[in-house]
Amino acid sequence: MGWADRIVRSMNSKETCRSELRIALRQLSDRCLYSASKWAGEQLVGIEQDPAKFTPTNTRFQRGSSSIRRRFRTNDITSSPATGMSYVSTPVLEEDEVIDGDFYLLAKSYFDCREYKRAAHVLRDQNAKKSVFLRCYALYLAGEKRKEEEMIELEGPLGKSDAVNRELVSLERELSTLRKNGTIDPFGLYLYGLVLKNRGNQNLARTVLVESVNSYPWNWTAWSELQSICTTIEMLSSLNLSNHWMKDFFLASAYQELRMHNESLAKYEFLQGTFSFSNFIQAQIAKAQYCLREFDQVEVIFEELLRNDPYRVEDMDMYSNVLYAKECFSALSYLAHRVFMTDKYRPESCCIIGNYYSLKGQHEKSVMYFRRALKLDKKYLSAWTLMGHEYVEMKNTPAAVDAYRRAVDINPCDYRAWYGLGQAYEMMGMPFYALHYFKKSVFLQPSDSRLWIAMAQCYETDQLHLLEDAIKCYRRAANCNDKEAIALHQLAKLHSELGRPEEAAFYYKKDLERMENEEREGPNMVEALLFLAQHCRTHKRLEEAEVYCTRLLDYTGPEKEMAKNMLRGMRSESSFPSMDAEHFPP
Amino acid sequence: MASPPQPTQPPPMTNAFALTPHKVSVCLLLQTYALPAQTTPPFPFSSVSQHNRLGLYLLALTKVSTVAKVISYDDISEPKLEELLNQLKEISGSLGHWLIDHLTGRLSSLSAPDDLFSFFTEMRGILGGLDSVVMEDNQVILDPNSNLGLFLRRCILTFNLLSFEGLCHLLTNIGSYCKEAMSSCMPYETRLLDESSNDLETLSEYENMDLENFVFGKVNEEIEARKQASERVPFHLHGPKALSGLVEDFENDKSKLADIEVVADPSSKHGDKCGESNAYIHPPGNELRDVDPYGEIFLRTNWQVQGYLMEQADAIEKHDSSFSFNSSELVLRQIKKLAPELHRVHFLRYLNSLYHDDYFAALDNLHRYFDYSAGAEGFDSVPSSGSNGSGRYEIGLIYLGMMHLHFGHPKQALQVLTEAVRFSQQQSNESCLAYTLAAICNVLSEFGCSSSAGVLGTSFSPITSMDTSLSVGQQLFVLLRESLKRAESLKLKRLVASNHLALAKFDLLHAQRSLLSFGPKASMKLRTFPINVCKELRLCSNLISEFGYESCTMTTDGAFSTTWLNNLPKSMDSPLLPQENGHRNNCDAHRFFTQLSTVPKSVLQLLGSSYIMRSTAWEMYGSAPLARINSLVYTTCFADASSSSDAASVHAKLIQHLAVFRGYKEAFVALKVAEEKFLTVSKSVILLVKLQLLHERALHRGNLKLAQQVCDELGVLASSVSGVDKDLKTEASLRHARTLLAANQFSQAAAVAHSLFCMCYKFNMQVQNATVLLLLAEIHKKSGNAVLGLPYALASLSFCQSFNLDLLKASATLTLAELWLSLGSNHAKRALTLIHGALPMILGHGGLELQARAQITEAKCYLSDPSYSVFKDSEVVLDLLRQASDELQVLEYHELAAEAFYLMAHVFDKLGQLERREEAAASFKEHMMALENPQDEDDPLLNMF
Repeated sequence: MGWADRIVRSMNSKETCRSELRIALRQLSDRCLYSASKWAGEQLVGIEQDPAKFTPTNTRFQRGSSSIRRRFRTNDITSSPATGMSYVSTPVLEEDEVIDGDFYLLAKSYFDCREYKRAAHVLRDQNAKKSVFLRCYALYLAGEKRKEEEMIELEGPLGKSDAVNRELVSLERELSTLRKNGTIDPFGLYLYGLVLKNRGNQNLARTVLVESVNSYPWNWTAWSELQSICTTIEMLSSLNLSNHWMKDFFLASAYQELRMHNESLAKYEFLQGTFSFSNFIQAQIAKAQYCLREFDQVEVIFEELLRNDPYRVEDMDMYSNVLYAKECFSALSYLAHRVFMTDKYRPESCCIIGNYYSLKGQHEKSVMYFRRALKLDKKYLSAWTLMGHEYVEMKNTPAAVDAYRRAVDINPCDYRAWYGLGQAYEMMGMPFYALHYFKKSVFLQPSDSRLWIAMAQCYETDQLHLLEDAIKCYRRAANCNDKEAIALHQLAKLHSELGRPEEAAFYYKKDLERMENEEREGPNMVEALLFLAQHCRTHKRLEEAEVYCTRLLDYTGPEKEMAKNMLRGMRSESSFPSMDAEHFPP
Repeated sequence: MASPPQPTQPPPMTNAFALTPHKVSVCLLLQTYALPAQTTPPFPFSSVSQHNRLGLYLLALTKVSTVAKVISYDDISEPKLEELLNQLKEISGSLGHWLIDHLTGRLSSLSAPDDLFSFFTEMRGILGGLDSVVMEDNQVILDPNSNLGLFLRRCILTFNLLSFEGLCHLLTNIGSYCKEAMSSCMPYETRLLDESSNDLETLSEYENMDLENFVFGKVNEEIEARKQASERVPFHLHGPKALSGLVEDFENDKSKLADIEVVADPSSKHGDKCGESNAYIHPPGNELRDVDPYGEIFLRTNWQVQGYLMEQADAIEKHDSSFSFNSSELVLRQIKKLAPELHRVHFLRYLNSLYHDDYFAALDNLHRYFDYSAGAEGFDSVPSSGSNGSGRYEIGLIYLGMMHLHFGHPKQALQVLTEAVRFSQQQSNESCLAYTLAAICNVLSEFGCSSSAGVLGTSFSPITSMDTSLSVGQQLFVLLRESLKRAESLKLKRLVASNHLALAKFDLLHAQRSLLSFGPKASMKLRTFPINVCKELRLCSNLISEFGYESCTMTTDGAFSTTWLNNLPKSMDSPLLPQENGHRNNCDAHRFFTQLSTVPKSVLQLLGSSYIMRSTAWEMYGSAPLARINSLVYTTCFADASSSSDAASVHAKLIQHLAVFRGYKEAFVALKVAEEKFLTVSKSVILLVKLQLLHERALHRGNLKLAQQVCDELGVLASSVSGVDKDLKTEASLRHARTLLAANQFSQAAAVAHSLFCMCYKFNMQVQNATVLLLLAEIHKKSGNAVLGLPYALASLSFCQSFNLDLLKASATLTLAELWLSLGSNHAKRALTLIHGALPMILGHGGLELQARAQITEAKCYLSDPSYSVFKDSEVVLDLLRQASDELQVLEYHELAAEAFYLMAHVFDKLGQLERREEAAASFKEHMMALENPQDEDDPLLNMF
């Protein structure tokens, strides 16, 4: 296939995506699936424009992103719609009513005003699929709204009351009959899946949602619901999904949730070939990079994102975490101010402000904002974890434990919270108890050296003193890109403590090499040099020893003198190489 | 900063008197009762007594609530409308229908919030003003300070405080309250879809369950069904002693809450109905009854839920592995969903998974519980000695340690417990420290392996002050004393008692140098001191006297009324007047009262185990009657409070006693009874006893194949797949050696016995050592190497002496005599003297086999003694042999019986009594035949295997 062909093909695929999304956007917003249509809109303008059709507005909107692409594009995009891959073309849904009924129009406007019950009532006798969907959806939302209210009204002494969405039962009944009769459209299936999920019937929910996305792939909310109930890789691979380009979006996000960050990143980068200006994809890439701890890249991406989309609040909490980690005070405060002005009552905003105060060391205030975030969203995972960190800072360990535990119970895969729990218990002087939590956290994130190091330190404590186990952990840490280079040093030290000079020398040497490569100096360097010098000397590798000693001379302190002495001793030995010491008693 | 985490702090338990549909209907009835009317008796009532009856009924209904306010919980038994109506029907006879119609009519007419307003305004009308002196003659006016008046006032007050939202909820609740009653006769499907979303969820949860669980559930169901068939389970099983001693604080709460009755009965109807409709998923029966009540019955108040949880905890402990895992897990999950701040649920889930040997779930739930509650929940009744608001995680550590012990990880257990010691020192939580020490003692005594010495921390002074060269036993002793001292100074009564028990056990099993004799001249003999054991046991039993006085102050009127209400249908059956009814009520209440005021269960458990310990001690010391009596005391007095394992082991003791003294037939009958009682899935003491009996019998009957089979079975039980049990292991290999011995494979038997001895020696199991040595002596005796056998017998003797194992000593003496005898007839005198020395013990306490053996040996001694002549004194020998043969026939011990008859025939031959000789010879032949081809086909006992 020629190069030109590919270009054409990629153009074509872009064109199909665009036209599909355009139709979908209209259909989705017609059914009041707002967030899905928002998503579709974002992707629609995220498709790179045909240069011939550039309009000034388009270029203005798209200019910003190009620089990121230049900086971070790893593979050439034109080749990315893989040659073997052919997408199933899903016929665009035929509308059953070309012109909406008057009742539907009225109901939709009620719905837009968030008068759900009223909207449902208007549609009570309408039998068209669209009307049925909107009626059910309105009922569902009305139930949700009432549930939220009841939750506050009925708040009993034991926490949450048993508030449930009272519409679920009847909705389930109705939708299941519709499905049995075959008179249900993909949107109805989506709603049915949602209801089933809320009723706790995950298996059927999965099946129904797969049906929905297979027949109408452009509904992103359906995909995200599906993703939220695919908690293992086995579940994911067992799904029978037809091959639409939307599936790539789904897989990318599912991989991310399953902590397969590199796979997810690859998918997103592939998608960027078509949707090169999509803010969504950029944010997701940032998320993946964040999980891979590539903070610099994340920062750049977010700067670009904010330039293009200055009033964005979504995902900004992650940006604030990066800024926090890099200790960028002013940037963080700027971000906080910005989101505060945009939308003060978003959990993300509160979280960012909390982060800012935390960075400033004002932990009480920080806790207050995290609590506000949690008031707005009880299941806001990172706020619980961050609040735990704050409590740790405030030395209120029980509160910290509680906060972390809540995070873990919301998502048992949150390794940060497990790690936090471990730390809290270690702080209290319960290292053995803490080990349980560290084990959990390394199980979830075995590639993070910090977790291994924390566990190793736990083993190393005076109370436990299980050095062999500590060595095992440090070895794992050293194998997974230990940035602070603690592991190698500790390994060397532990081995020398346990009287294994060979192993110790091996690790000191490795540590030394690393420090040389990274051009770092410090007490570790001196220690390594000294040990190696002594070790080489005892093993009669005098030349090597001399090299180490000479290097030691560059440092000040007692080691310098020791090196000098050693050098002197070695010289005297090497000048009479043939003679044994007993002939010349000192 | 010690401020508790505000956002996550559980909201304070509200004592609020919540207005519920049930209260509204009581108010409605009150109104009927106290309606201003012109006639006497007032309109609907046909007689004064009918009127009074309703009044009394209302009094009982409201008393529950009014008393409740005092002890800060309410709505103990909030019946459904259906039940209320049924009760009404029963108490008011002919009037019932009118009342029911009136009540339902009024209730369903409450359709708008304003109806409620006007209703409560009306209600105010029947309440007399505080200062209203003028009473109209015909009108019943409620005294505002009477019980009913108080109740009404509280209702009105609560209503006035209600927000509009609350009003709406009350209205909705009244709607569903009525609907429920109406729809109770509706077909299943509509019901299911209508009201109980729970059921559907349960369904789907069952769907998700894998097959294994399902099968397991089936097994449980069967077991439960069988249990039910055998009426109420008459025994109560409680957890491993390790834990039960430590849940003292928890139990404190329990006793306080014991008076909360969870009325689970009414729901059974509904439950059964569900069960029928989808029987393939829900096994009908108990399980559902467990599952179902949550929605409707008990989940009303905080206290009730907690009381329910207590009950569940009890139940889990009682029925250990036979308690259905899934059903309680389902309930707990449901409760969790409804009350996320009730962390005790996690503890229950921990208990549940612990007793079902699910290590990971247990670990997770334990950690979760202590993460949330910081160890504080459930211990609130304990005066916090050293807690400074930073949580009481040390308790979590203890539990974790005990859990590791339960799962057989002694090393981890020790590590955790050391951490607990350190942590409680750091928190200066003295009582926790005492408990931790007790727990460590427990670990050490259970797994007193040599490896543990180094693990115990460097931080704890009593340990560090010890010489590291001390053996585990000595360390344990020091620790036990230390723990006891602390417990005593902290006045932790139960801990003191359990420490005494532990000391008794230690004294029983460990020989010590006498403290009185020291210096170079003192004998260095190691001995155990039965007196110490006795003393410790008695000190342990003192506990009951301390709790005897402490009767339960929480006996409340509330509980009183609840029972009365529950028994209402019964008492109303009899056409007695209400006044007379009072008497009956008192009876019930009295029964209830006695139930309440008994000594706490944990105390009873401890006492019970002290009796088991006594029984074991006497068993070891060789007093059969005393051992038996103590076991009997246990079964009669402590069966209710005991745990399944304790009760089963006592039964096992009794069965074994029967087998040894009465023969197998009776023992097997008893075993059958016990087996029905203790239906357990996993390995249990009863199973062990069964195998032991079968093995013993097979050996006696010479059925070696069966013996080997049983032996293998035992080996499977003892395999380390499901945790290491050293006692079981010893037992298995001991029996293996004996089987080999019976098959005349001497060298192999000796090899097994040797390795067993090595193991016992390694783990310091001295008592078993004596047995093994005796076995070795037997092996040598049987192989014809009497000289080699002698040292073993002597060694065994000395072990027995220093451990006061009198019965074993007697049997060792007997073996020694046999050995001497087999060395030649010139040693017969010596052997005879030995036997005569041991005879009092053997005849007094020995079993049938031992007695028979002694008699035969004695007879043989006489016969081989050159100075003895048959003609002069034949009856001595014949008498002995006759007795022996009788006993052996009971035991079906063919080999020895044959020997007895052979000797008898011999004597008769010498005496020239040919007829009797032939008789004996025939018996001899019979036994030999039976020995050579064991007949099993006709054996009814075999099918037990």
